[in-house]
Amino acid sequence: MNLSQRVDALLERVEKPVRYMGGEFGCTVKDPSSVDVRYAFLFPDTYEVGMSHLGMKILYHAINAREDALCERVFSPWVDMAALMRAENVPLFTLESRTPVREFDLLGITLQYEMSFSNILEALDLAGIPLRSAERTSGPFVICGGPCAFNPEPLAPFVDLFVLGDGEVSTHQTIDAFKQWKASGLPREEYLRMAARIPGVYVPSFYDVSYHADGTIAAIEPKEGTGAPQMVYKALVSDLTCAEYPEKLIVPYGEVVHDRIMLEIFRGCTRGCRFCQAGMIYRPVRERSMERLLELAEKLVCATGYDEISLMSLSSGDYSCLPELAREMVRRFAARRVKISLPSQRIDNVLTDTLKETQKVRKTALTLAPEAGTQRLRDVINKGVTEEDLIRSVTDAFEQGWSAVKLYFMIGLPTETDEDVLGIARLAGLVRSCYLSLPREKRAPGLRITVSASVFVPKNFTPFQWAAQLRGGEVARRQQLLKHELARIKGVDFKYHAVDLSYIEAVFARGDRRLADVLERAWRLGCRFDGWSDQFRYDLWRQAFEECGVDPDFYACRERPDDEVFPWEHLDAGVSREFLLREWKKAQNAERTQDCRKGCVGCGMRRYEGACR
Amino acid sequence: MRTLLRFGKNTRLRFVSHLDLQRFFQRALNRTGLPVAFSQGFNPHPLMSFASALAVGWTSEYEVLDFRLSAPMGRGRVEEAMRQALPDDLPVLGVRMVDDRFPAAMSLVRCADYRITPEGESAPAILAAVEQFCAAEHVMGVRRTKSGEREIDMRPLALSLEAREGSLYARLMLTERDTLKPDALLLGLASLAGVEAPRARVHRLCLLGENAAGENVPLMEWKNA
Repeated sequence: MNLSQRVDALLERVEKPVRYMGGEFGCTVKDPSSVDVRYAFLFPDTYEVGMSHLGMKILYHAINAREDALCERVFSPWVDMAALMRAENVPLFTLESRTPVREFDLLGITLQYEMSFSNILEALDLAGIPLRSAERTSGPFVICGGPCAFNPEPLAPFVDLFVLGDGEVSTHQTIDAFKQWKASGLPREEYLRMAARIPGVYVPSFYDVSYHADGTIAAIEPKEGTGAPQMVYKALVSDLTCAEYPEKLIVPYGEVVHDRIMLEIFRGCTRGCRFCQAGMIYRPVRERSMERLLELAEKLVCATGYDEISLMSLSSGDYSCLPELAREMVRRFAARRVKISLPSQRIDNVLTDTLKETQKVRKTALTLAPEAGTQRLRDVINKGVTEEDLIRSVTDAFEQGWSAVKLYFMIGLPTETDEDVLGIARLAGLVRSCYLSLPREKRAPGLRITVSASVFVPKNFTPFQWAAQLRGGEVARRQQLLKHELARIKGVDFKYHAVDLSYIEAVFARGDRRLADVLERAWRLGCRFDGWSDQFRYDLWRQAFEECGVDPDFYACRERPDDEVFPWEHLDAGVSREFLLREWKKAQNAERTQDCRKGCVGCGMRRYEGACR
Repeated sequence: MRTLLRFGKNTRLRFVSHLDLQRFFQRALNRTGLPVAFSQGFNPHPLMSFASALAVGWTSEYEVLDFRLSAPMGRGRVEEAMRQALPDDLPVLGVRMVDDRFPAAMSLVRCADYRITPEGESAPAILAAVEQFCAAEHVMGVRRTKSGEREIDMRPLALSLEAREGSLYARLMLTERDTLKPDALLLGLASLAGVEAPRARVHRLCLLGENAAGENVPLMEWKNA
């Protein structure tokens, strides 16, 4: 039996065979003998999650647009499939041609979330690729990108190279370098040297880390003779209008999380929320022109048959001509029954106009993220939203027929007190009053308020990279406090995150190389799909930390002194350390920093040529 | 004007559910750019229906989608548009244009032809039980429906049945009132043979309707009297 038939035989026995099926409309299948470079792209989570990811769509399209390369997709097999694959000796395979991943030249992995790290080890193992890059003598080079590549150290021994920043150009450069290397016939390490010269590429094995007696880092230095740079600057695509973007998409059969056209209207965010890593590492703001967006929308609607377009960005309300764009989209697509949706809506925009436009075709739940319950704490985190903004937004929305509101908050933000926690319930109560104050005939029936409170996880390359995470017991107490308070308000649904999971996330979010052994140990003990609460095994993680003699509190619960050398000190995400430290100090005094569209705040992006105007 | 589209469902896509296939075809029709007619109302959807749902795990070379166009179109154009809009594993196998008065494909279905290939050790016993099944006057079995189980006589619901080259070739009734599913047939044969019901590959070969003369004809060839 060939591999495809052996895979088929397993599919009879798994929960969701469609995950491993491939053969979707719009996927690209090339003859491997017609190309020089075979690229496997792994999303280290399930098919349903991975197929909703925009970055993968962009890079899949970009690589397959080349004549000299092909790109095929891989997703983490769910636990039932992984067990069968091991039992039947079926190696990890790509969906398109069902080729073993180990036969590819490059294995690209996107790091969206720290809690997917164990899935990466699982995938390498299932593929039959040695876990540690030092042990690999053949097979694909393992390349990781995505937001968590900005804190790559816990994965350092497992990964050949990291690509920091925008992937549209750097991915091509890693492929070009591979072609050159392959033609040169030089040893494996030579590819890493060639790649280390590409802007945004970080080769972890080329750096030495030394430590102080107290466990903090003394220095991170490039090894002599490797030619690796002292500082790795992120790759930056300055013009998004000209950047590659898919003009056709894979249309999945089964239900995926975001089953619609995703149109990225801009990248980056100028708001400067101090907890938000995306808002820092994706700077500066780069808009795609309206003309280009309309052209893409037209092509994608024709190519996919989707009846929904989602306008994506970190803060869609900030697009400079959003009302015009929304109006034009609606004008062009309403007759073709294509809905336009705006996720991630901020509450401090003049929503009314835009809401009116999108509402013509669709009414989704209004999602607002005040993040904190009091103005003081919102000032600490620099979330430029006031109670009046919230009231105006929900009142507008209710008047126009919305009746479902989702409110997102965090618990455990720096300086948070019980008053701030109770403030969350007060805001939920205000939203309810706004609804009730409208005459019955003017509002849609069935008010639904969902309050969702995640646990704050300090991330690197944010002003809170110096902050301690609140200890689990105290987080749990505040969650219960809020739960009781919210129970007194009718029609409110409260969702909150597991404390233990956020704790492990916090450890890895600011971890260093010494966590690699813990990660491998945890995986060997059986940890995988840690982001799925039904799979997460806190007991096994505790065991792994103990067996490796690593104290997780050192990473999660320790406030760092101003001058501590971070594990990512040799990486540059655009924003400068000086800016972040300044912001950390201002946060502690609850001082706001303005949106940099209103004037430069000196974040450090200007050090990148042509990045910021 | 309406189109009857005959298409196949290949092995690779055998786990795509009927619901997912419906959603897929809605998008496929959008992609064609054909003037597909839509329902009225708050959530308009293309006016389309399948002659018969195919169970998850089965393959087919005779599925029929019936959809309405809001403007007249040539058969060739529709066929070409559908070929463009479907992946290789959902091949276009025939297109027929009919007028709006033509009965809905779903209402025409009377029976279906299947190739059922039992696997494993009990397969020969299953194949050997065909003779006994055909010779019997009644073969009692169970039909599972949404409302529960009830006992049925399977024998008259199998219009024809033969064993050939390791597979069963069966023509089974497929109406709302009288229906015999391949897996139920297998259960019946297994109990006649005194073995466990085996795993089996099921492939639909044809969907048929009854014409005025009382003959069963393939759906794509069915004519009003």
